[in-house]
Amino acid sequence: MDNPSQYWSLAQAINTAASRADNRQIFSAMGAQRPGPRELALMLQPQARAHLEQMAARAKSLTARHFGNTVSLYAPLYLSNYCSSGCVYCGYASDRKQPRRKLPFDAVARELDALKREGFEEILLLTGERTPQADFEYVQACVRMASELFPQVQVEAFPMTVDEYRKLNLAGCVGVTLYQETYHPVVYDMMHRWGPKKDFAGRVSAPAHVLEAGMRTVGMGVLLGLSDPVVDSIALYLHAEELRKKYWRSGIAISFPRIRPQEGGFQPAHPVEDRLLAQIVFAFRIVMPDVPLVLSTREKPSFRDGMAGVGISRMSAASRTTVGGYAGAPAEDRGQFEVSDRRSVMEICDMLQAKKIEPVFKNWDAVYTG
Amino acid sequence: MFPPAYPSLKEQMMKLVVNGEEIESSGSSLPDLLVQMGASPKRVAVMVNGTVISAAERQAVTLRAGDRIEILTFAAGG
Amino acid sequence: MKPLVLGDLEFQSRLLLGTGKFSSSAVMLEAVKASGAQIVTVALRRFNRERPSDDLLGPLMTLKNITLMPNTSGARDAAEAVKAARLARELCGSRLIKVEIHPNPHHLLPDPIETYEAAKILAADGFIVMPYMPPDPVLAKRLEEAGCASVMPLGSTIGSGNGIAAGGLLDIIINNSNVPVIVDAGLRAPSEAAAAMEAGCAAVLVNSAIAAAGNPSAMAQAFAAAVQAGSAAYEAGLMARSTTAAATSPLTLFLG
Repeated sequence: MDNPSQYWSLAQAINTAASRADNRQIFSAMGAQRPGPRELALMLQPQARAHLEQMAARAKSLTARHFGNTVSLYAPLYLSNYCSSGCVYCGYASDRKQPRRKLPFDAVARELDALKREGFEEILLLTGERTPQADFEYVQACVRMASELFPQVQVEAFPMTVDEYRKLNLAGCVGVTLYQETYHPVVYDMMHRWGPKKDFAGRVSAPAHVLEAGMRTVGMGVLLGLSDPVVDSIALYLHAEELRKKYWRSGIAISFPRIRPQEGGFQPAHPVEDRLLAQIVFAFRIVMPDVPLVLSTREKPSFRDGMAGVGISRMSAASRTTVGGYAGAPAEDRGQFEVSDRRSVMEICDMLQAKKIEPVFKNWDAVYTG
Repeated sequence: MFPPAYPSLKEQMMKLVVNGEEIESSGSSLPDLLVQMGASPKRVAVMVNGTVISAAERQAVTLRAGDRIEILTFAAGG
Repeated sequence: MKPLVLGDLEFQSRLLLGTGKFSSSAVMLEAVKASGAQIVTVALRRFNRERPSDDLLGPLMTLKNITLMPNTSGARDAAEAVKAARLARELCGSRLIKVEIHPNPHHLLPDPIETYEAAKILAADGFIVMPYMPPDPVLAKRLEEAGCASVMPLGSTIGSGNGIAAGGLLDIIINNSNVPVIVDAGLRAPSEAAAAMEAGCAAVLVNSAIAAAGNPSAMAQAFAAAVQAGSAAYEAGLMARSTTAAATSPLTLFLG
């Protein structure tokens, strides 16, 4: 779209139109031959809650059709908690009193080893917004180290230029995750009080830069709870669809982070309860049947177990959201968010297998890209 | 036998290949050739030796013996 | 109804008509009128003074509100198609060009590689490029990136009347395309045109089904009605097919 605030305004209009829907229209949306934004909006209405079980059934069968009975597992690795931005909701915002550290390379190596020993083949390297301590060169160097050990290395960091993403890709990064947080331009501005992340337009255009640089996937998402979660979900879908059609050689993944209690006591203005989050995931599966849908350890075990394979096709496991969390971080450190599912990799695998779902650690080797 | 009325004209005749067939032409300009072929200038497109000649360029083209000329028109097609 | 947008041109009618195979140009003209089509295709042929009736430009120009879309049929590779397109533009001034490169005279299936090459050159040269193509979703994206104003996947082989043979592939093309998708070739019955429109096609191009019908004008009218109905149905949003998937045990109990 020409203007980054158009995702929100268009999503709002679609949502308003859908809000008058009756039962029959909602039921029709669930089985539409080629569902689009209108159908997504219909399935996200409060009236659709009555059909949640049918939505789950459809989501489950579509997930099984496109992913088989598998869920892929990955681990996040926090490289640094330095940050230059003031995001109201984040435990790593630059005004939080919090020990700051960046993993030196020998510690990165220890963390990578620890994750490899746990059996992971896919990892996600994370940092805060761009700082002199954790800058592009640092992330690039960590990607290079990680790609020696892991066939799939992804990055969740600050927005970069196309050229930087290209270099990151060459260093061995195959995908980048970058959440918009919210498509509501005013709320976005209020939530991001200072720092580079205040640049709304820059944030919106970053996923396109990722794909322009030739990355295999881009991970997208909104931080559910900041603004109206239904409108934000529709806006996210509009953005994802636009990218899917333009960068048709690449893939998209959608994550569903929801705001958890933080140090600093941030309370979301639009709290998203379990049923609504499930509804959002099922609806996304129905409108994007072949896109990986991701759920992190922010969510509690019972919710994750229920969602695995029913829409969700990818999960993090045994996550530490502290810097150096796998090979020994100081106990007093607080993570970026609170981990709710603290089960080990083994326990997650047991849970999946009990549900007759195969845990997958490795999808492919980048044989031809080296 | 009568002598040729315009002996000089014979020297001006040259062989051209028009739409794959060899013909004798007296004129050396494209518009003259179109007249000779009975083609309405606005209803045909012309190519000389594989080069598309626009209507505006036709006057400036001098034909030489052996030139291959295609005169095309719109016909039915799907 | 929303207009059909091709490059910088807009059209109200979503039925495109081919002019081949009619018993006479008078019958063809009647059918064009009856169809309400605003885009009609023509082919380039060698001028033949013995057959002045071959020339369609004159008769077609008597129709109002018609844009010609010359095709490049007869071209066997990209270079020939580019030449044909430039000749055609000279002749009618229309920038619409149907790139049609089918080297094999029996099945007339398009050569995807030559089509792509020609499309790149012609789009860069300012043409509004409409490529006739196999129903291949990847090729469709490549042609879109090459600058085509539309993609025109075949329903089935030219003149076969086998309808839309690869509906699943057509569906993927529509679902991924940023340019109008026009089914070109293979349609036999108006119901097939309606089905294509219901599936989300932007338009259909019909020739044989009308030209070879018992009453071409009446069939042209029938196709126009079908295209309109299918398009309206798509806009209205079709009812869902039944998706009853009986879960053996409830999936949402964990939500409490």
